[in-house]
Amino acid sequence: MKRWWAQPLVRAVVALALPFAVPAIITLLIWALPGSPADNICRGATGCDALAARWNLDQGMVHFYLAWMGDALRGDLGRSWSAVQGVGIRELLAPAVPVTVMLISLSVLPLFLGAALAGLGWIPRRFDPIFQAVGLVPAMVPALVVYAVITLAMGAVAADGSESLLLKLFAGALILGTTDGALSGAITGTRSVFDNERKQQYVLVAQLRGEGVLSNTLPNVAGALAGQLRARILHLLSGAVIVEAVLRIDGLGDFLWRATLHQDFGLLLAAATGFALVSGVILLLQASLEVLVAWHQRRAPQVPVAVGA
Amino acid sequence: MPRNLALLLAFLSLGLLLMAAVVAPERRTVEAEAAAFASPLDLPPLGADERGRPLTDYAMQGAHIVAVPALVAGLLVTLLGTAGGLVRCMGSERVESLVSGFREVVGALPRMVVLLVVAMLLPLEWRSLLALAVVWALLAAPGAMDEAAAVAGRLGGARFVEALRAHGFSRLRIYLYHVVALNLRPVVVRQGAETLMQVVFLEVALSYLALAAGEPSFTHNEAVTKSWADLLYQGYQAIAMDVPSMHVLVLGLALVAVTALAAVSISSAARAR
Repeated sequence: MKRWWAQPLVRAVVALALPFAVPAIITLLIWALPGSPADNICRGATGCDALAARWNLDQGMVHFYLAWMGDALRGDLGRSWSAVQGVGIRELLAPAVPVTVMLISLSVLPLFLGAALAGLGWIPRRFDPIFQAVGLVPAMVPALVVYAVITLAMGAVAADGSESLLLKLFAGALILGTTDGALSGAITGTRSVFDNERKQQYVLVAQLRGEGVLSNTLPNVAGALAGQLRARILHLLSGAVIVEAVLRIDGLGDFLWRATLHQDFGLLLAAATGFALVSGVILLLQASLEVLVAWHQRRAPQVPVAVGA
Repeated sequence: MPRNLALLLAFLSLGLLLMAAVVAPERRTVEAEAAAFASPLDLPPLGADERGRPLTDYAMQGAHIVAVPALVAGLLVTLLGTAGGLVRCMGSERVESLVSGFREVVGALPRMVVLLVVAMLLPLEWRSLLALAVVWALLAAPGAMDEAAAVAGRLGGARFVEALRAHGFSRLRIYLYHVVALNLRPVVVRQGAETLMQVVFLEVALSYLALAAGEPSFTHNEAVTKSWADLLYQGYQAIAMDVPSMHVLVLGLALVAVTALAAVSISSAARAR
């Protein structure tokens, strides 16, 4: 894409569309399956017709989507259908969102640190195999060990209670931020971006003029680094589902898992939309950064190109 | 890791996985309470579970569950990644914009969320790891396509193809040999190997969580076959409840390690000289 604003614009449009698109896709899938949506969801329960009418499943796909979206925009996410039957989904998810956001924010810290140190060249390459070996560990394995240790140390009741939440959040963040290739990817990815940029001629010229390498390269690689970071945060969001479910952290991921397990379409729609919203915000942040970088680059004095050059 | 060693390890680990999948018993061996938690020394080669059933059944049935879906997902990502790189070399802005749009939209979706939605919406009779593995591969593809396109871009894209055309090479040879085999290979094979590993870990994670909640698995019929997650579940009790199942946990972790080794050795064997 040649115009500087095209990519950020596409990202912004996708970011704004995501929270609407995800429930639309789920609705489409419900109606695409063989059999009536009400029968698929009730799975032989008595009073299916009444339930279908209550959940807006009886008047077609568009009616269901518009009714759900309209309610959601007014802040009414309905009630849990089976996972925590009858409880308002908003009441369930309101405390869960900050928990997941905190888990993801904490788990981004090792990535930031690793990327910054790699960018500055402070992490020697000979340590890469260690980070890569740690990155091969699936998040579930250390999560299981941590949960066992917490249970043994604090007892089963306290391990599932709120008193251990902070401990589980920190442990979960450390697991998410280091396993599944997260940290090793951040280190090698950032280093490779900077290595490629340092080979550019303008960097050599800047060095000859006594300017810093980082101050010259950073604006040019910021977009690529932001793209990498977004992909890693999305990866963390996926991992958060497993870590929250294993460590029994009442976050958005745990509710999504419970909704899947208990066939709770109401909770699933709301939790998936919540994830789409988080993903959209991350995408918007990336687009904003790209605009800022483009603005910074366009502020730089234009060097006149010699005729015939 | 030297390439020859990597190649040998890749063949061994993948061969082991496939062989175990092929010879896996359809049903588990009958219980023998007397052999409960038998160690590998008491009941070679791997010991027994809480009901005296040999752990070889678990290892082979687990391999049977993951082998084909993981390979299919890995191949799909490799193919889509290759397509992403080739599109960059074709130099068609319109096709590149379309592919870029696909990458942007699909890449913005959190994989696990989409996967769980699909897992839940699939009718019981359609539920299998293969369906989930294909979804996972499609969601992983934008990353592979992005990286392959970047490699092709650094190569010179359409100009690289034109330069080789000027040397008299056919388009087929340029695309298949010079672009794919020599330049895209390390990236797309690594992405495919990583996806293969992720699908195996995904199966273990989903089955473990379903098992812990006492619910049916999304990936297999647990009444008939057992996944590697069952090994971790039984082995976990050695840490949490002092049950003599440490050998079960060790086996579960060893299988996870073999999977990781397969992915690393495949990537290393395919890397550029």
